[in-house]
Amino acid sequence: MYGRRASQLLKELSTCEPGQLTSFNTDVFDQVLKECNAHHLELQSLMRKIQEEELDVQTTKNAEHFGAVIHHLSLMRNKRCLMAYMYNRAQIIQSLRWKLGPVLPQEIQEKLNFSEEEYFKNYSAALESYASELELDLTVDMVPPKDPYIKVRVLDDIGDVLLSDQSPNLARHSIHFLKRTDAEQFISQGLMEELLG
Amino acid sequence: MSRYFDIDDIIMEDKHSTVFFKVGANGVGLLDPSAETNRVEQGSRVELPFWLANELYLRQAVSVNIPPCFNLKTRREIQADAACVDLRSRCPYFYELGCKVAPLIGDKTIGSFLLYAFMNRFKDILSKAHSAAFAVAPRFLPLLTKEEMQLYEAACSSMTGFKKWRVGGSRFEKASILGMKKRSSE
Repeated sequence: MYGRRASQLLKELSTCEPGQLTSFNTDVFDQVLKECNAHHLELQSLMRKIQEEELDVQTTKNAEHFGAVIHHLSLMRNKRCLMAYMYNRAQIIQSLRWKLGPVLPQEIQEKLNFSEEEYFKNYSAALESYASELELDLTVDMVPPKDPYIKVRVLDDIGDVLLSDQSPNLARHSIHFLKRTDAEQFISQGLMEELLG
Repeated sequence: MSRYFDIDDIIMEDKHSTVFFKVGANGVGLLDPSAETNRVEQGSRVELPFWLANELYLRQAVSVNIPPCFNLKTRREIQADAACVDLRSRCPYFYELGCKVAPLIGDKTIGSFLLYAFMNRFKDILSKAHSAAFAVAPRFLPLLTKEEMQLYEAACSSMTGFKKWRVGGSRFEKASILGMKKRSSE
């Protein structure tokens, strides 16, 4: 009560690494929602008591009034905690779209709530429609480019891939000379690594 | 308004402090564990989280006592040697909470006290962040508050970025969220 459980949600968010996601904590979320309802009922009963004593609701400052104030403040506090929880998770999900592309790996997909998955799909669709209007892929060149081509070693078996200027067979441990824009996606998903020197 | 969603701000406001109720409040017995009926009596001493104490103070329902992390003992320790005091165990948001609490308790010396503490500790943080290897640093890291930690990490990351640029390392990185996943599954 009084905002203690809602802080648990936020402590969970703050303890995990920045940019990482934990599973959506539906249990605590629902408990906080129930607490909000309880506060609201108490608030209403206190307001009714003030009205029964035929005092003016706006100006009385008796004990009921302050009790009602405390319940109201707890409600606002719970609301703030819940909204901050959702907002911060939504920010992380947005950044995932930029880093990992339109398809999320299974292990991350499991951690999302149903509405968060919908959010990701809609955000992805909005980004793609915007990019197609500009005819520009916005998710490449996140680091200012130095060379149009880079040397990469493939870490995982990908197989035959059709790229803009070649169609190499990306077998494991093979080394290729790829266009930077094509390779960037694979590197950020962990399927390739850049070779230097 | 930009701090509404800020996690650090919310967690900081959860810090408890004792308040002295100037009025009674009905229907909120859970706040005061020693209350027998479902109310808080006028004149009772209760521990409230900071956000609640702040709002009630603005409505003139309570008077707030100084939180224990700013008491005389801490002040003496900081005057003796600021860099060695473990501020994180007292209060991980020492500076921010001090700034917010100052108008509530009417203590004008908190501002200069915070400044003094920060100046002395900052010299240490700055020098160690820029020069220390990983082995040396962790000894004094648990003493830092959250704000100081952020400064320290910013300095460390700029140093590593500089070294990487000088050496000419790979500029493309695997997405950090995946990096953790792969390590944990191995």
